[in-house]
This record gives sequence, structure tokens and C-alpha cells, in this order.
Amino acid sequence: MRFTTVLTLILLVSGCTDDVEPVKNSYAFEMPANFPAPVYTFGNNPVSRAGAELGQMLFYDPVLSLDSSIACANCHQQAVAFSDPVHRFSRGVDDAVGFRNAPAIQNMAFQNNFFWDGGVKHLDFVPINAVTSKIEMAETLDQVVQKLKRSKFYPEKFRSAFQEDQITSQQMLYALSQFMNLMVSANSKYDQYVRKETDLTKEETEGLEIFEAHCRTCHATDLFTDDSFRNNGLDAGFEKDAGRERITEFSGDRGKFKVPSLRNVDLTSPYMHDGRFNTLQQVLDHYSNMVKDSETLDPLLKQGESLGIVLSAEEKVKLIAFLKTLSDETFTHDKRFANPFIK
Amino acid sequence: MKKIFSILSIAILFVFFSACSDDEVGSSGSTLVLEFDNVVGTSNLVLNTTDQPYTNDHEEAFNVTWLTYYVSNIKLKREDGTIYEDAVKSDGSAGYYLIDEADVESREITLKNIPAGNYTEVTFTIGVDASQVDQGAQTGALDPAKGLFWTWNSGYIFMAIQGTSPACTEEGNEFAYHVGGYKEDPENDNLINNIKTFTLSFKGDSAPVKASHEPQVHIIFDVLKFFKGTGANISFASNAQRHTPKACEDIAGNIEGAFVVDHIHAD
Repeated sequence: MRFTTVLTLILLVSGCTDDVEPVKNSYAFEMPANFPAPVYTFGNNPVSRAGAELGQMLFYDPVLSLDSSIACANCHQQAVAFSDPVHRFSRGVDDAVGFRNAPAIQNMAFQNNFFWDGGVKHLDFVPINAVTSKIEMAETLDQVVQKLKRSKFYPEKFRSAFQEDQITSQQMLYALSQFMNLMVSANSKYDQYVRKETDLTKEETEGLEIFEAHCRTCHATDLFTDDSFRNNGLDAGFEKDAGRERITEFSGDRGKFKVPSLRNVDLTSPYMHDGRFNTLQQVLDHYSNMVKDSETLDPLLKQGESLGIVLSAEEKVKLIAFLKTLSDETFTHDKRFANPFIK
Repeated sequence: MKKIFSILSIAILFVFFSACSDDEVGSSGSTLVLEFDNVVGTSNLVLNTTDQPYTNDHEEAFNVTWLTYYVSNIKLKREDGTIYEDAVKSDGSAGYYLIDEADVESREITLKNIPAGNYTEVTFTIGVDASQVDQGAQTGALDPAKGLFWTWNSGYIFMAIQGTSPACTEEGNEFAYHVGGYKEDPENDNLINNIKTFTLSFKGDSAPVKASHEPQVHIIFDVLKFFKGTGANISFASNAQRHTPKACEDIAGNIEGAFVVDHIHAD
């Protein structure tokens, strides 16, 4: 009897080894060598294949919304690094209009602050905003959990991911975090250059030099953000959107927004918290000619009496060439992140 | 005489000891119940009354439709100064309790397996601090599906009271005070931490925890004292919809004074 068990175990284990996929498609969290350390609480919620695949299903399933009309993926599309390519402001249930541009989802395990105003400080809580916001999915967490419990296939998926017989909102959020934690974009041409696997063109190299001189302070590290909040001079007043002040209730934070990562930036148009710019050229024109003064304008954009960053037309061309090296096709084509309901 | 006395003492000691060991076999400790009784001055609180039977310090009539708060980090002090701490788990599955006036069962916190002794004071926290929120998704009383999670500025509402008053100019005459705010930053004085931790004395009384004894500590939360205390004297006539940490800073100052231990049921 015992012998059979052992035999079965051996068979099972060897079965598993045969199943192992190439490293590129692993479900383990991988730490890119050129990134700072991740900050996610992996001790509470390590990534597993069953958990991440469950998160993938939830991400693409409109069951999360009030009338089953909208999934996370509606406004976060893989081909454009999980941003919204169509809308300045994404559309919610009943065609409700948001008031900020949907940010890209990538390298989430490395971030301390989420959303344009940093109102959320832990990845687990990020989906709650989208699910419960009246202008997004307009559903309650409790209702989502009830719907998942009634589903034909979710109870089994949750059981295999968390080895418990009940579905909780915590498990749902854990699964989504596992999925998002796997979403690491670190194989752009720039990364390959850093790893000495490829060369940049002359134009891209010169663009990188201009970037290091003028942009690197805020778009710091190979995450291309310093995770801070800054007023980059889009407006002189902030009646429409006070940004970070909404969270800190501190007037010194008025008009400040999170410095976004520039990874995949060529794909994530429109730009800025309100999606006001459609092209990288417009963004650079803003920094060179259109920066507006206000009390909280970032000091780096105000040198004496002159506002903004001095950039020639030629330098802008080179900068854009460099920024395009941050696009990561491996990421935008990774099957682990694709819609699991389309086979 | 002396001999008889000592034999008697030994006999009594024996009885005591055997009682103790019995207890250890039966259950690994004893129980104490914290009962939270929500009142409005001298009246018991009744939710969702059709009229507005209560009156605040500004002579404004009101009723209450919702009252709920988080109690956590409970510590009980014994006569001899030793302290029993209720265990708190970082995923919220233990040590956090949501008291909801609408849910009778939630109003009693049963602490099990606590060491025998005479307890004379209780310390607890109203609030949910960074050590929980920074750990990510929570469960138990802190399950965000319970509806007290602040999404746009993440963290928990840890005391919520809603109701109506003719004095209130908000839509539907509805007032709402959602007290939250746990963030602290040495570089930003404007972040408000409204978490309150305080001690309630049993005022000379004591709760005897021992085998076959289940003392109940009857704690009163007075809505009128929450509206008028050292922090603020709330009028519903202005600023009656408060949903941010800063807006609730003054009323949060009333929390401690609104709780008192009223009496102890010894068993």
C-alpha cells in the first residue's frame, strides 16, 4: 500500500518536471538585475502559478463590474502596456467618464505609491478603487465575492490557488496582485543595451545623454521614476484637479502628480494625468516652451526667471528616439498576461 | 485547634489546586467579555427611528442611522500590574473587532483563554494603523468587503456615524462623520493620524477571571459625548459631511471621552 503511494508520488513528481516551461514563461517572480529592490509584501502573498492564473482570469472578467460590462482589461490593454489607448478619460459602467487618464500597469512590485495622487500605498488595494468607483466598475467587493462564489469555475480555481474552501475578498485581491506582480517589463532595447546584449544607434545614444542631463532626476533608476509627486507646470491653477493635495490635504502639494515611469512610454499615449497630450513631441514641447508658473511648480523647472527645460528641436528628435528604446515587445506579447478567455 | 486549622487549609488548598488542574484539562483558560453598549445620553440608542428623538448640545434634534467602529489591540491589566494582550494578526484575522450597532452579536467581544486573576482596567485602540494597512489585503473584521475601506485614500474608516437632523443643510438633512486617517510623515505635518488608544479604569471594581466565571465588562459609548467633548462641539448646521482625516481631526478628539466602563458583571 505504502509502496504504491511512493510510486504514485514519484510518478507525480516526474510528471511535474516534464511540465516545466522555459524560464521565460516561468511563474516565479523574477528580479531584473538593473532594477531597485521590490517593495511588495511577498511574505504575505508569494506568486504561484495557480494564483497568478486566477488573477489573470479576474483581470479579464467583467464579472468584477456592476452589470458585467467592464473588465480591468477594458482600460488596461496589453498591447499598450496595460494603458488605455483610446480615451483621455476611461469609460466606466453606464458610460460614466473618469477624471484622470488610466495609467499603465507594469513593474507594480517596485512601487510604493499608486494612482496619480498616490492615494493608495499597497498594490493589493489598487483593484478596490476600480471595482468600487462609481465612474469605473460601480460594484461592491462583497457583491463580487458573492458572484465568484456562485460561479461554475471560480470556486475550484480559488481552492487550487489558496487551499481554502471559501472565497474572500483578500484572496481575490491576492490573486490580482500575483498577476500584476508578474507583469515586469524589463526586456526593452534599453534593457538589452544595459545588459550589453545590443547597441543603441548613434541617435539613441545621444538621446540617452540628453535624457541623463535633463530628465533623470525625476525619471530616476531603471524604473524611470523616483516615485515622487511633482508639479510639472501643466497649469497655473488647479481648480479642476488638486492632485496630491487631495490625499495629503496640504496646500504645498497642490497640482502635484506622481512622476510616471517612462517604460513603454511610446505606447502609453495619451500623456499626463488628464491625457492632454497625444504625442511625445507635444510632451517635450510642453517642457521646453509651455511650462506655467505656480506656487508649487517643481524647482527643477524654474531656473531663475526661465521656466522649463531648454531643448532644441534636434535634441527633441534624439530624445524621442531614445524614449522609443523603452518599448518592450516581450512584455506586450507575453502570453502569461493575455486574455485567458480567448484560446 | 491549630492542627485542625492547618488540616483545613491543606484541604482547601487541595480543592483549589484540583480545581485549577481540572480547568487546565477542560479548557486552557477563562473568558472575559467586553460588551459595548451604545447610548445617547440617558437613552439607549435605537437606529433608524422615524422621528428624531435625540438632541445635541446645540438643541438640534437628530436620529442615528449607522454607528460602527473598530476596536483592537486590547490589553487587560490585573491587580498585580501584569498585562494580558489580545493577539493581533497582521492579516486582520485576529485582534480586530468591528462593533456595529445594527449587529447585536458584534457588540460583544469575547476574549478566550485569558489567565485567571482580578482585572482592573482595559486599554484598546479605536482605529486601524499602518502595521495593518501596510501589509496589504486584510481579512476577518478588516475584510474590505465590509465596506469600511477608504479606497481613494487607502485606509480604514474606523468610526462612522450617520443620521439626520432638521438642522443639517446637506442633502436629505443627512450628516455623516467618517473618522479615519492613519498616515504619518515626519516631513508633512498635515497628514492627520486620528487613531486613538486609551485606557478605561474599572473604577475600583474588578473583573474576576477564573474557572466557571465569565465576567462581563460593560462599556458605554455615548453618542452625545462623541458630539461634544474636548475636541469639538458638533453642530449639524455646518460641515456635517466629513469624509477626510483632516475634517474629522476635532471630532476624533472626542472619541476617548465618549467611552466609559459602566459596571462589571462578575459572572
